[in-house]
Amino acid sequence: MASIFASTTTPSITRAGLLPKRALGVSSSTVLGLPAMGKMGRVRCSMEEGKACSHESKSKMGMGMGASLMAAAMAASMSSPAMALVDERLSTEGTGLPFGLSNNLLGWILFAVFGLIWALYFVYTSDLEEDEESGLTQTSKKEEEGEGESVTKKMAVATSLTVTTPKKLSSLSSLSSPTLHSLFFSKALSFSPSSSSFLSLRKTLLLSPSHHTRTRRRSFTLSASANPHNYDFDLFTIGAGSGGVRASRFAANYGASVAICELPFSTISSDVTGGVGGTCVLRGCVPKKLLVYSSKYSHEFEESNGFGWKYESEPKHDWSTLIANKNAELQRLTGIYKNILKNSNVQLIEGRGKIVDPHTVDVDGKLYTARHILVSVGGRPFIPDIPGSEHAIDSDAALDLPSKPEKIAIVGGGYIALEFAGIFNGLKSDVHVFIRQKKVLRGFDEEIRDFVGEQMALRGIEFHTEESPQAVVKSADGSLSLKTNKGTVEGFSHIMFATGRKPNTKNIGLESVGVKIDKKGAIEVNEYSQSSVPSIWAVGDVTDRINLTPVALMEGVALAKTLFLNEPTKPEYSYVPSAVFSQPPIGQVGLTEEQAVEQYGDVDIFTSNFRPLKATLSGLPDRTFMKLIVCAKTNKVLGLHMCGEDSPEITQGFAVAIKAGLTKADFDATVGIHPTAAEEFVTMRTPTRKIRKTNPSEGRSESEVKAVAGT
Amino acid sequence: MARKMLIDGEPAAALEEEATDFDFDLFVIGAGSGGVRASRFSANFGAKVGICELPYHPISSETIGGVGGTCVIRGCVPKKILVYGASFGGDLEDARNYGWELSEKIDFNWKKLLQKKTDEINRLNGIYKRLLSNAGVKLFEGEGKVVGPHEVEVTQLDGTKLSYSAKHILIATGGRAHLPDIPGKELGITSDEALSLEELPKRVVILGGGYIAVEFASIWQGMGSTVNLVFRKELPLRGFDDEMRAVVARNLEGRGINLHPRTNLTQLIKTEDGIKAVTDHGEELMADVVLFATGRVPNTKRLNLEAVGVELDSNGAIKVYNSYVKVNEYSRTNIPSIWAVGDVTDRMNLTPVALMEGTCFAKTVFGAQESKPDYSNIPYAVFSIPPLSVVGLSEEQAIEQANGDVLVFTSTFNPMKNTISGRQEKTVMKLVVDAETDKVLGASMCGPDAPEIMQGIAVALKCGATKAQFDSTVGIHPSSAEEFVTMRSVTRTVAAAKPRTIGGVQNQLQ
Repeated sequence: MASIFASTTTPSITRAGLLPKRALGVSSSTVLGLPAMGKMGRVRCSMEEGKACSHESKSKMGMGMGASLMAAAMAASMSSPAMALVDERLSTEGTGLPFGLSNNLLGWILFAVFGLIWALYFVYTSDLEEDEESGLTQTSKKEEEGEGESVTKKMAVATSLTVTTPKKLSSLSSLSSPTLHSLFFSKALSFSPSSSSFLSLRKTLLLSPSHHTRTRRRSFTLSASANPHNYDFDLFTIGAGSGGVRASRFAANYGASVAICELPFSTISSDVTGGVGGTCVLRGCVPKKLLVYSSKYSHEFEESNGFGWKYESEPKHDWSTLIANKNAELQRLTGIYKNILKNSNVQLIEGRGKIVDPHTVDVDGKLYTARHILVSVGGRPFIPDIPGSEHAIDSDAALDLPSKPEKIAIVGGGYIALEFAGIFNGLKSDVHVFIRQKKVLRGFDEEIRDFVGEQMALRGIEFHTEESPQAVVKSADGSLSLKTNKGTVEGFSHIMFATGRKPNTKNIGLESVGVKIDKKGAIEVNEYSQSSVPSIWAVGDVTDRINLTPVALMEGVALAKTLFLNEPTKPEYSYVPSAVFSQPPIGQVGLTEEQAVEQYGDVDIFTSNFRPLKATLSGLPDRTFMKLIVCAKTNKVLGLHMCGEDSPEITQGFAVAIKAGLTKADFDATVGIHPTAAEEFVTMRTPTRKIRKTNPSEGRSESEVKAVAGT
Repeated sequence: MARKMLIDGEPAAALEEEATDFDFDLFVIGAGSGGVRASRFSANFGAKVGICELPYHPISSETIGGVGGTCVIRGCVPKKILVYGASFGGDLEDARNYGWELSEKIDFNWKKLLQKKTDEINRLNGIYKRLLSNAGVKLFEGEGKVVGPHEVEVTQLDGTKLSYSAKHILIATGGRAHLPDIPGKELGITSDEALSLEELPKRVVILGGGYIAVEFASIWQGMGSTVNLVFRKELPLRGFDDEMRAVVARNLEGRGINLHPRTNLTQLIKTEDGIKAVTDHGEELMADVVLFATGRVPNTKRLNLEAVGVELDSNGAIKVYNSYVKVNEYSRTNIPSIWAVGDVTDRMNLTPVALMEGTCFAKTVFGAQESKPDYSNIPYAVFSIPPLSVVGLSEEQAIEQANGDVLVFTSTFNPMKNTISGRQEKTVMKLVVDAETDKVLGASMCGPDAPEIMQGIAVALKCGATKAQFDSTVGIHPSSAEEFVTMRSVTRTVAAAKPRTIGGVQNQLQ
């Protein structure tokens, strides 16, 4: 690497020298632009020549081409109308400076510095192909932690760069190569394409069908639009939640120029508030789990009594400490997410994105064009329109209440309802859960539904089954009552509705461009996440497939691969594990017993309902329930369910095994880890029951078919 | 062997006919995990089974034991109970930032915990006895001795001796802790006593770097004692993945345990202020309790095995301390009618392994199914706080054994709970992958819930899961375990069977 650097220093410096002029002078001069491009072309070409011998065919399709041929190709691309378009946009982007800098001059300096870095980078691109990618992947590795640290380091470098004035910039060219080298190394890896209009230029260059794998990567097979149009961005993402951030980062890593827009941060979502990180980080998984951690302590205090711990006075909980610490953590995380985007060279635009046409997004009045638009705006809680519903809160509000509810009604029997019931119960609120059905958690395995309901009731939650809410009434003293089909329960400080979530598809221009939306308001997409408009794609909750963060991540990665890696990838929805962070929590993967019987007929059910070691000492009535559903014909494990302490953590590893198609025999062959709860899953020797639907003769022939299909 | 098995396996006629020749089809000496499992399963296969066990007491000796064995009475179970008890110490600290206002004075009552632990063990001891009687296994209380290839003698509590003949004899007498030979060793205790101390010691010195030492260090530290952990190597937990050993050491230190690596104890001296433990560096550590966690020896001494010609081995150690019963892969000794399972054979001294050996024995001898225990990819855990759990190969083993290069994926992160509690303790996870086959050769984790998390991973590894299969599994969010399926980039690639390049990051993404 170092030696190559030395041999190419001169051309890159020339390029660097041009930058300030360009940056400070004429913003949209084609005249200036052309020579610059010409030089670049030459640098590029000489690189190609120099590298031809050292690289193998596949990654360098241009290696066979001579420098002259390359130059010709460049010239051709530059004289095309596309060039003019690019330069026009230069001026547009002058106003919409990268990273939303208000100071114009500073913006240009930044701009120029990036240009320099980019120029250096450009020289190296072909050689860096591998290194860059791994470098990026590494920096993007640990989203919640390591990322934060590397981000901080990176920003320090950026700061030191921005203080350089344009004058100094030109003098930079005379710096010794080691400095440049290190500059290059610390920055070029992270600031690769996009985020400045130079990159549009570069994109144009690279799009010329000539020399680089990058070019081929940029191609996409699924998109219908193959026109040679030039856009501000290869990808414009609306919504910076789990799916949007993931898709954007990966797209940028694959070489696309990407912008993403997101609403300003608020703990409560609305048409005008959101925040980078999305539901998961700001109003879902993360804050929820933090509150679960906090609320679980009351149970742990009780348990600890059985283990010899005694408190002089009962532990008391201070709601405001928890909420303040939680919000500090959310601020940290949203900052990390912003940095992740920045580090991946995804341009973040704060504002409300609206689709204007299949290739144009309006963000608060400013227009951006993009080859592809990704809609990843997620969903938000929905409260049914009953009298007095304005007095009710949803999960957004419940995560950020100013004070702890004294007595709360939670309407709904889904996972959100149960999680909040556990949280408030643990924090010593009086909790009433109103569910329309006989049991909680519709769609879950019936035995799990029974079990978790019992366990939660034992911990003090009052369930009101088969009660539908009809009205919320606020009385003179400010307390709330809930009127249901069975009567009225009074004296609530809070009434929370956990009655479902709806995709955020309203007023973002979807209908006007012809994006099909289903009855529930979700964007209809094909298996590649493409909507009815070929250039518009959607991932995550807005598509209402499986509404889980890791699924949105999977969809985001698949989309980035499909669009920018030339690898059409479908997200795989089989055996997606999931958890409910109720207390006790649930982990599950695969089919429920009911689904398994329906799909396979003959299944063996293994269950274990036991008192964990901890409970024998604590004296609390906690139990753990585990269940394996096995196909009687193939011996494959079709489903695994657990309710009890650590269920979510325990389920993950088994999900790998089940996803890999392992059999009950494989489970049995695994030695247990003693003493754990999880070992129970590998020591279930006798079926609790065998369910047989098919007659033996049929069964045999079917099993043969399935066995073949399974392998 | 195979033919023999067939005969054993033809239950009805063959067994009945031969049963007339012996008092029992199987007589088991030792009712611990392996012995109980083997007898129950053999009985289920139709064999007539007798088992003998020493009288019950928490502290074992040549003449004291108890149905349930080490695991239930002096090992896994009481240990884990104490670990639970000790974990609350850290949890209470963590609770404050989550908004909990705890009184300054929090009492930990060791005696109460000890009593509850003993109650639980008594209960389990009873359960085990019931398990045996329900399976139709005849239990004798007393010391068993092998008198001949088909003869056992049980010395009962009152001194009377019973003699029985058996077609097969199974030795499952386990092992027990042993003290190093240093001056003043009688002042020290073993893990047996440590699980049943009258008082919670304020100052503890632990000698040893194995899992028992590390677990007790965590237990006492969590309960508020001052702990000095003295071990001979650079890092504790020899045999585990080096990187993970360093993580454990860091965590122990982070929780407040004083580590003394490359140190040994040379003598213990009784003083008015307690026990003075002198190290080979001349340092003097004062303690109320000195625990020797310096290894365990098989219980073979009083079985009269040599007299009947059963071969013992010592694994290179001094024979007098460490004479384990030598067996073949079916757990059979050189005397065809005498078999052995569990710690007394010193293969892999874990309860679930003894269970596996016991099950395989029963299947082989009475179930007409030749079964060898399979020792590959056995997961296990160290219940330190936080715990460590592993399955498969360590990085070092993988480098030695893998065909191709070894890809190492690691993830070090701050668990979500710590973001608010403020606890400075990273969770570390590691996957070791064969670059050629993409097979995951080993997984390790140190952090909360590691043992629970590792069990499922072990199923996957046992069946040769590839890294691609891990990657294709969707995560459970937010959990720690999801990290195992989201390790995208290689931390380092190590060439097979070559010295590892330290810090040499060779990225090889496909």
